[in-house]
Amino acid sequence: MSHVTINFMLNGENITVTTRTNYRLLDILREDLGLTGTKEGCGIGECGSCTVLLNGRAVNSCLILAGQIESASITTVEGLENEGKIHLLQQNFLKYGAIQCGFCTPGMLLSAYALLNENPNPTESGIKEAIAGNLCRCTGYKQIIEAIQKTAEEMNL
Amino acid sequence: MIPSIDFIQPKNIEELLSLLNNFPDESCIIAGGTDIIPGMQQGASRFKKFKRLIDIHHLPELKLIKVEDGVLIIGAGVTFSDIIKSSLTQNHFPLLTKAASSVGSVQIRNRATIAGNFINNAPCADSVPPLLVYEAMVRIHSFNNQYDIALKDLLLKPYQTKMEPNEIVTQISLPILSETYRGEFYKLGRRQGVAISRISIAVLIDIHQSRIMDIRIASGAITPIGKRFPELEKFARQKKLEIKLLKELARKLGKEILITTGLRWSTPYKLPVVQQIFFQLLSNITK
Repeated sequence: MSHVTINFMLNGENITVTTRTNYRLLDILREDLGLTGTKEGCGIGECGSCTVLLNGRAVNSCLILAGQIESASITTVEGLENEGKIHLLQQNFLKYGAIQCGFCTPGMLLSAYALLNENPNPTESGIKEAIAGNLCRCTGYKQIIEAIQKTAEEMNL
Repeated sequence: MIPSIDFIQPKNIEELLSLLNNFPDESCIIAGGTDIIPGMQQGASRFKKFKRLIDIHHLPELKLIKVEDGVLIIGAGVTFSDIIKSSLTQNHFPLLTKAASSVGSVQIRNRATIAGNFINNAPCADSVPPLLVYEAMVRIHSFNNQYDIALKDLLLKPYQTKMEPNEIVTQISLPILSETYRGEFYKLGRRQGVAISRISIAVLIDIHQSRIMDIRIASGAITPIGKRFPELEKFARQKKLEIKLLKELARKLGKEILITTGLRWSTPYKLPVVQQIFFQLLSNITK
């Protein structure tokens, strides 16, 4: 079995991991590091529940191999909290009923987070495009879009 | 689970070519990985022979987008997101920008590369029809050789190109057209976002004094692989632009597609749709 040692930044901290070459970023997060906030849905890049940020951009962690994250900066849903307090985006997902079963939520949050970092004032269609790669089968998208819109408004205050 | 496999990140193109030269048949080049990784994950037979992945996504030489002597050069490692954001593509190759925007999701576009799209050569590859009408040239490198080949000549059959196992694509070049060209890219999927193309067409027309000076038509998902329609294009050139001609072109395109694909279960539905879409595209561009 082939192994690879990689150095990367995870949620603001430099770490070194020795893992299997056939592990995906998703497997490193969940199996090696025990960060189970990132979910595996389809495993083929369609559902977006494994979305994380790689150098600030939303990516599917099921489509990235271990060796490909050398020197990268990764943000997972665990990295959104700050000093024990959840991010405004997370607060608004709760407040506006954008969570039901919660399986899509981590990925949805990170897609929204990447969008708001790039464009603090997105249109509704911009939001829809940003989360088009994140499937939700419970609440529907209306509440999710609303939570993202409200966050944008509050961040721009 | 992905089978156990070696993973190598060469430091530069020279090292990459030499690695590839030593073990051509067992090695698979990986960049964005958005086709290869799910393919391996699902046990797709076309990836089973590979024992080694050679990663090129980090090589800066492959990431450039620039204009040189009237030609847009796109490195093989450029992602769809990079293409969408590039003002060079927006200004000179709007059909490519539009097609790139319709690929997968934000997450996919942030990883998937344009070269990977046509090397994978799926019938539904969204960037292929625009690249064909823009007459893309592809630069191929191997340890001992380097040459340019037109994209239309590189594509062989679904999921296959004419590339040898020891060759890689380093860049794509698109000659900048005169501003008199107008065009459109159309994609039909089962839903708007994150959809596999069922029908895709690109068309470019240069009209001068109500005459078609040049027309370029390329299909994507409606033919086994992306292709141009040289006979139809020849038929249309120098003809006077009128509704009657556009209708005839749409009818003829349908016939040519039928000849290429043969009669399929979806033909009674798809063919009239393709003809109508093509007629509307032509009408919109030329109005």
